[in-house]
Amino acid sequence: MAEKFIIKFSKSGYAKYTSHLDLLRFFKRAFRKSGVALKYSQGFNPHPKLGFAQPLSLGYSSSCELLEFETADNLNAEDICEAITKEMPEGLEIQWCREATGLDKPLASVCESAEYQVTIPFSADTEFLNHVKNGYLEQESITALKRRKRDKKMVETDIKAKIRRFEVRALGENTVLDVELDSGSVSNCSPELVISSFCSYAGIDTPRYDMEVERMSLKFYNNLQF
Amino acid sequence: MELQKKLDRILKRVEKPGRYIGGEVNSAKKDLISVKERMAFAFPDLYEIGMSYLGMQILYNAVNKEEVMYCERVFAPSPDMEKLMKEENLPLFTLETKTPLKEMNMVGFTLQYEMSYSTVLNMLSLSEIPLMSSDRGEEYPVIAAGGPCAFNPEPMADFIDLFLIGDGENLLPDVLKLHMKCREKGLSKKEFLEKASEMEGVYVPCFYEIQYNDDGTIKKLCKQNSKAPDVVIRNILPEIETADFPVKPVIPVVEAVHDRAVVETFRGCTRGCRFCQAGMIYRPVRERSTDNILNIAKAQIESTGNDELSLLSLSTSDYSHFRDLALELMDYCKKANVSLSLPSLRIDKFAFEVLDKIQEYKKSGLTYAPEAGTQRLRDVINKGVTDEDIYTSVEQAISLGWRHIKLYFMIGLPTETTEDLDGIAEIAKNIIEINKKYNGPKGGKFRLTVSVSNFVPKADTPFQWERQNTPEEFMEKHRYLESKLKIKGVTFNYHDSFTSVCEAVFARGDRRCGRALLAAHEKGCRLDGWTEHFYPDRWQNAFEESGINPDFYAFRERTEDEILPWQHIECGVSKAFLLAEREKAYSEKTTRDCRYGCAGCGINKRVKCMTEGIYG
Repeated sequence: MAEKFIIKFSKSGYAKYTSHLDLLRFFKRAFRKSGVALKYSQGFNPHPKLGFAQPLSLGYSSSCELLEFETADNLNAEDICEAITKEMPEGLEIQWCREATGLDKPLASVCESAEYQVTIPFSADTEFLNHVKNGYLEQESITALKRRKRDKKMVETDIKAKIRRFEVRALGENTVLDVELDSGSVSNCSPELVISSFCSYAGIDTPRYDMEVERMSLKFYNNLQF
Repeated sequence: MELQKKLDRILKRVEKPGRYIGGEVNSAKKDLISVKERMAFAFPDLYEIGMSYLGMQILYNAVNKEEVMYCERVFAPSPDMEKLMKEENLPLFTLETKTPLKEMNMVGFTLQYEMSYSTVLNMLSLSEIPLMSSDRGEEYPVIAAGGPCAFNPEPMADFIDLFLIGDGENLLPDVLKLHMKCREKGLSKKEFLEKASEMEGVYVPCFYEIQYNDDGTIKKLCKQNSKAPDVVIRNILPEIETADFPVKPVIPVVEAVHDRAVVETFRGCTRGCRFCQAGMIYRPVRERSTDNILNIAKAQIESTGNDELSLLSLSTSDYSHFRDLALELMDYCKKANVSLSLPSLRIDKFAFEVLDKIQEYKKSGLTYAPEAGTQRLRDVINKGVTDEDIYTSVEQAISLGWRHIKLYFMIGLPTETTEDLDGIAEIAKNIIEINKKYNGPKGGKFRLTVSVSNFVPKADTPFQWERQNTPEEFMEKHRYLESKLKIKGVTFNYHDSFTSVCEAVFARGDRRCGRALLAAHEKGCRLDGWTEHFYPDRWQNAFEESGINPDFYAFRERTEDEILPWQHIECGVSKAFLLAEREKAYSEKTTRDCRYGCAGCGINKRVKCMTEGIYG
């Protein structure tokens, strides 16, 4: 029995086109519907206490989304899991629900990195891929174009230090990237920057919209694991 | 390329891709093998708009409860989506099963406002369905349309196979059933349309031909098919208490304009405002019982997880047991942690008690619609509101802590003079003064918004014969009001005048106006209700090229014996009543709310009018 929980769920199929805010709205509603009463914040404009560990870009699928929330009553994780599972539409699947009693900080603040798999419909042999991978990683700096929030201008940024792991492999007619990038409030790197800088380095001209990105896992400080 | 892949390529590049994915909670999933009749309910506007429309939820529910029928939904794509769909050769598809519209048995459009007509054509064209009904062979779906604009269907007559006039919750499933049976028997589309035209509320425009006089007015209506009726009679549900109401509405994935549970408390209105089409074409008033409303509200909240509940009708507080209903709902909402909103409330003492309670924390804003600036003009339009009503309620609102008040007016109403415009400014000035009494000489944070819309004469109202103001007249009035309303704390809004002209043309246009719609479509017009997608020059050119003179339709007063384009569509309110009301308007005489005594509109000759004279 607890009042603080984490739900792990996956997002696939057309559901990947549901935006961060719309998904948040969806979960608030699903909780209301399922009868799991959430705890509300105090103050002028109370809102339920729930949030995602890390936002997921629109169009990405994921097998590792985490949602943390607080309930108004002392509840059982299995009961919540059963109730909320019933509310999921196609493409959203609850994997588990666990108590998060020991957690004193929001997940978003202790998130460290994220693993992604990028599938590019580009046919290449292993030798070529290894060659460009080495060249890409051996660059003194890996520059990518990023839109600056302040004035929306495209500016160059070096992402080399934010790439924790970078693998390339051929899979049938596709090229697959397996990457681990900084993700969180301390340091953050969007997979989009890696995709664009690598493709431009390797001369892969496949349009971005033909590629699929899936988030495989989220990693946290202090060896927290979900 | 398989569909999902094709869609994936497109959806990654558009704004709000959630608009096009379907799969929402409570959306209908059916086994296509057991489904015998498939319909696409088409809303000619964006997802967020269409998903706020209760009528769609009602009809979706009415069709889908029948096992063998499947109603899916489709909305107008946004221009970015439209562009990519064309590039990738992806025809318009339904959200539920991603089936191209041209593979449906029927496609039904709802016509909520005239400026969506161009979007209907664009949606047909994106579906690769020929626009003209005469160009569509047996292989294409039946194209149907309904909604308030179908009461003057003529501008859309060349594009639509059949119109459904009136209440749709029984009529639409019946028409689909008939279509299903006709197809099973191997009957042709024409044979189906003949049978359909015998149903109450069905209008098949190709069975009628219109002849014109040299001056452009209608000479006569010639029936081309003996099976079709001389006059199409509106389908009226005698009561809505037993009518099915969706307790599991489809929940939008992308936040809709109105994202809340909604219960229709009653249909129709007894006030008799002379400019109001809805007040005429939805007669008589048919109420749901309080118990029924409460049950629906609870069931909806439970099935949707909504945290807001709203009531829907034309004049919310006219509900016979409004007091009981409001108190019970407030009680329930408080317990269920749901916020209650009561739109289009008549502002009286009780309304304030209710509003004060339900808006305890956030007194968001109060909207008031006097519609005209002087008592004289309000009597002309039969808007039963007095100066005293306005000031008492505004004063009460301010004293209770409302800091934002919105006023709605119409300009260009019949008999309007400068005095009536001055009246608008006068009301604004007085309200600002009232506020100073409560919030000090500087007025505090108080804001008053004065919104002025341009009067568009509508079919089936006492003003259906009137001329509309020209854009020049409207703009002159806007300028005049703008100078008069330069008052601290007052914001003045008005509508684009040319849009109002287009609305006026199609609101009372005849069949020839379809040519202008076609021309506008060819020039790329669609989503014309959106300022950012409305191109006046395209419409100007479309009118010119198609030989449709907007002046003839918008600015010409009709004689009372002229054959009006919608004369063969009978809404149930008699011409004699409309004429009498027009007469009374000119002599500045009001007609009382018919709950105090029947006003003789004629609707009780069709169905029992349950509210006539109940306060008498």
